[in-house]
Amino acid sequence: MPDHSSQPVVSLRDIHKHFGALEVLKGISLEAQKGEVIAILGSSGSGKSTMLRCINMLELPTAGEVAINGEAIRLKVTRNGPAIADQKQIDRIRTRVAMVFQSFNLWSHMTIEQNLIEAPIHVQGRHRSDCIAEAKALLDKVGIADKIDAYPAHLSGGQQQRAAIARALAMHPDVMLFDEPTSALDPERVGEVLKVIRALAEEGRTMLVVTHEMAFAREVASRVIFLHQGRIEEDGPAKETFANPKSERFRQFIATAHNH
Amino acid sequence: MDFAFIGQTFLQLLGGIPLTLKLAAVAFLIASVLAVLIAIIRTRKIPVLDQIAGFYVFVLRGTPLLVQIFLIYYGLGQFRPTLQSLGLWQFLRDPYWCSILALALNSSAYASEILRGGLRSVPVREIETARAYGMSGLRLYRRIILPIAIRRALPGYGNELILMVKATSLTSTITLMEVTGIAAKLISESYRPVEVFIAAGVIYLAINFILTRVIALLDWWLTPHLRRPRIVAAKLEPAHA
Ligand SMILES: Nc1ncnc2c1ncn2[C@@H]1O[C@H](COP(=O)(O)OP(=O)(O)OP(=O)(O)O)[C@@H](O)[C@H]1O
Ligand SMILES: [Mg+2]
Repeated sequence: MPDHSSQPVVSLRDIHKHFGALEVLKGISLEAQKGEVIAILGSSGSGKSTMLRCINMLELPTAGEVAINGEAIRLKVTRNGPAIADQKQIDRIRTRVAMVFQSFNLWSHMTIEQNLIEAPIHVQGRHRSDCIAEAKALLDKVGIADKIDAYPAHLSGGQQQRAAIARALAMHPDVMLFDEPTSALDPERVGEVLKVIRALAEEGRTMLVVTHEMAFAREVASRVIFLHQGRIEEDGPAKETFANPKSERFRQFIATAHNH
Repeated sequence: MDFAFIGQTFLQLLGGIPLTLKLAAVAFLIASVLAVLIAIIRTRKIPVLDQIAGFYVFVLRGTPLLVQIFLIYYGLGQFRPTLQSLGLWQFLRDPYWCSILALALNSSAYASEILRGGLRSVPVREIETARAYGMSGLRLYRRIILPIAIRRALPGYGNELILMVKATSLTSTITLMEVTGIAAKLISESYRPVEVFIAAGVIYLAINFILTRVIALLDWWLTPHLRRPRIVAAKLEPAHA
């Protein structure tokens, strides 16, 4: 259940993002409360990935403010656009915000175990033995305990994505960002990954999930956001919003998505 | 051909191996450190430093190593007062350190290009992911970028080590008594260059044979992710009748 009593885990205030002359985000404001599972929908090019990547500063917004747990991320303005003002702050905040990528992006030269313990040990400074024990438990949880010593290239896509989710969990993040976590998978592998994400939602984790899986968004998300040309066009509780969209565009989007 | 003489020469040349190996190892280590720095400067295109590094690589790759050795050994004497005041003269008047310097600088130029290729081949996504997990600056290089780049550069880099071992033979021209230096001395005493050089050639061949094996082993050991996994025999279900 969303917890509205404390400050939001993620807060975006009037975020704008330009790529050269192209304005991709045109003023996004959004607050994610603890325990919320937000599905982010929108057609290709509407700015979903860019919005998600602004949250952990993989893209630097050209205007507006991002705050995590109430702490505003400091940026500075340079001749070439926005720049990081305090790398240490961003590195620290990034350990609170774990991202899961469409193409998994496991570190190819490391075993699955090494992938899971890398940042906890070398960024968060935790004890190796604790991290290893936890890695085992997490891999067990996502159902690939037997792959602990394998290398990413030796796993199927679904297994790699589950390993990547375990890597995110190993950070003990306050919020998890998923950018189309199942889009690169064979259709028969999609279910196993969605099952893991669904289980995380049921644990009450705070998550923002960019997805094209309508059924998943409807059933698992507590809230749905529809982006259109860099603006939030629809924002509401998942079930009601799907049943009764306020925006005509979202209505059409749902209708065409159903035809696929 | 006088095999007894070749055998005898061979034994005398063995005495030069420690110096040959020391020259190669020390110069290679220094070259590696320089190469990493140059490769990073050039990959990140750090202004001014990038241009200087580019010129450095251009000059060192474009001139013969022998010329570089002579310039350092005979040429640095002109700057003796400056070098003395810097406390460097005691090193740079010594042919050993001049050789190390020449070999290291020369190799660093080639090695930096090999490393640069390795750095370029690191998948952008893996770097970005490391950033998203809180890594930046040196830690990002140490933990993710360099380990991947070095693995990719390893075969070419190993080649550079072999070239280095062979290049040490040029230091005999500035009086060092490594394998080739001793060989030159034996030739001037015996006037039998063919036998002496055969013995010397065998020694270089043996050293480089061992080095290629070691490099191949290192490559094998560092890149299990590029091999097919060990196939675990599948348990066969007994067929039901
Ligand atoms: N690094 C970049 N440089 C220039 N333009 C970019 C860059 N990244 C994204 N864009 C542009 O920004 C717009 C939004 O891209 P974004 O990736 O956020 O869309 P999306 O909603 O995630 O789309 P998809 O569903 O295809 O993933 C697109 O027009 C894209 O071409
Ligand atoms: Mg996208």
